[in-house]
Amino acid sequence: MTSPVARPLASAPDAPDRSSPLDAPSPQARRPLSTALAQRVPAPEEATAMAIPADKVEMRNISFFYGKFQALHNISLPLYDRRVTAFIGPSGCGKSTLLRILNRIYELYPGQVATGEVYLDGTNILAPGLDLNWLRAKIGMVFQKPTPFPMSIYDNIAFGIRLYERLPRSELDDRVESALRRAALWDEVKDKLRQSGLSLSGGQQQRLCIARAIAVEPEILLLDEPASALDPLSTQRIEELIAELKVDYCIAMVTHNMQQAARSSDYTAFLYLGELVEFDETERIFTHPKVRHTEDYITGRFG
Amino acid sequence: MPAEHIIKSYDEELNRLSKMIVEMGGLAESQLAAAIDAVIKRDSELAARVVEGDAKVDQLETELDNLAIRLLALRQPMARDLREIFVALKIASDLERICDYAANVAKRSIALSQSPPIQLVHALPRMAQFALLLVKDVITAYVEHDSDKALAIWTRDEELAGMYSSLFREFLTYMMEDPRNIGTCTHLLFMAKNIERIGDHATNIAENLYYLVHGTPLTQARPKGDKSSLEVVAPDRAESR
Repeated sequence: MTSPVARPLASAPDAPDRSSPLDAPSPQARRPLSTALAQRVPAPEEATAMAIPADKVEMRNISFFYGKFQALHNISLPLYDRRVTAFIGPSGCGKSTLLRILNRIYELYPGQVATGEVYLDGTNILAPGLDLNWLRAKIGMVFQKPTPFPMSIYDNIAFGIRLYERLPRSELDDRVESALRRAALWDEVKDKLRQSGLSLSGGQQQRLCIARAIAVEPEILLLDEPASALDPLSTQRIEELIAELKVDYCIAMVTHNMQQAARSSDYTAFLYLGELVEFDETERIFTHPKVRHTEDYITGRFG
Repeated sequence: MPAEHIIKSYDEELNRLSKMIVEMGGLAESQLAAAIDAVIKRDSELAARVVEGDAKVDQLETELDNLAIRLLALRQPMARDLREIFVALKIASDLERICDYAANVAKRSIALSQSPPIQLVHALPRMAQFALLLVKDVITAYVEHDSDKALAIWTRDEELAGMYSSLFREFLTYMMEDPRNIGTCTHLLFMAKNIERIGDHATNIAENLYYLVHGTPLTQARPKGDKSSLEVVAPDRAESR
């Protein structure tokens, strides 16, 4: 990649040898989720490479400013494909900020600036002029509080799909069903798809939001404390869902729940006061971290 | 020592756990010391008290197990804290075994004191004192979380194993010289083996302590001083003595 300048989706941004269905030349050409999933079965040479996960996202020297306040200092971090990376750290350490940089959602607010580069399959997604619709179709996000649209369960899912594609009714139905099944919600809502999304329980709403996020077939899922407002059983359902989804997606998750990070992630990054203190395999971080500060944090001591 | 936990009761429980280890360690020391005393002084009453005292150690181990289970279930410990609890469980079972061996030595000393005293009994207390020192030092190392001391104990056990080997040969010789020694020497041989095993448990504790401090296991091969398992009795060799 000679000049990592942002390009719209139409120019198929990344390396040609990767044949992810989502690199298809235009949004209109996207295939149904079922086909897409079928194509995500790793080819043999890809399967052998699973031991060393591929970089999906490469953050380089990321700094972030809320006006004059610098919230992140020079953070460099990879996100691996088909792995879950958890960001942990005390409140205000910048973990949510880091997540928000990945889909440039911060740009909605004045005075917020990110510097550095974030390469998504080789394309710098922080470059000016990048097609944000393209970016946000590739990167889905789920927030701490469930945020269903005030519309029917069906339309919550269909809304995003309609933004990108014009599908015949039957195909749209299939896509909605497929997304709800992937989010382990189908059986609970299949008889009330016309009811408001807001009528669901908190845990169901959150799974609806995950279904909505994956309905547009992203490659990366950002989860900002996806289970912190849920009861323990719903939390476990979400964690189980994360385990199922990581087979296909690159997932980044912010969580305050250390046990949850330990259970659900493959890699963990510990941030403190806007600095990346340690990044390693989750098992290592929670059994024998290299940095004392990390250990003090995960064992519940003052840093 | 690491900083304190935000939740004070967590620290208190961890402290209690390590105090219990120290208490068990102290008991192991005093049991072993009393057993040695009983051998030297041919004191059957003291020996009987050692045998009875073993129940106290078993009880302490059960208490420690319960506390550890409670900590694991309620605190969900991570990293160093998790190792602290995991290692406490392992050390407790090593200390319990040490006390068992001390009780065994005491039990056999009762049998020994019923046969006529013989000179060779004195080689055994020397070995036992050495083992006692290992136990004492490993408990001190635990209290101080001192992995260097642990490592030293780990290598010193070789010497104890060497002592066992030479005692083994000595007893064999005595038995060949005079069949009337066989009863006493068999008891002594078992006692020596028990004491040698105490050294192995002290070594285990040292290894666990190393793991506790460093988070990685001690991987080098341990030096071996005991060659008695390779010993073969050749009649002509005995005659040449």
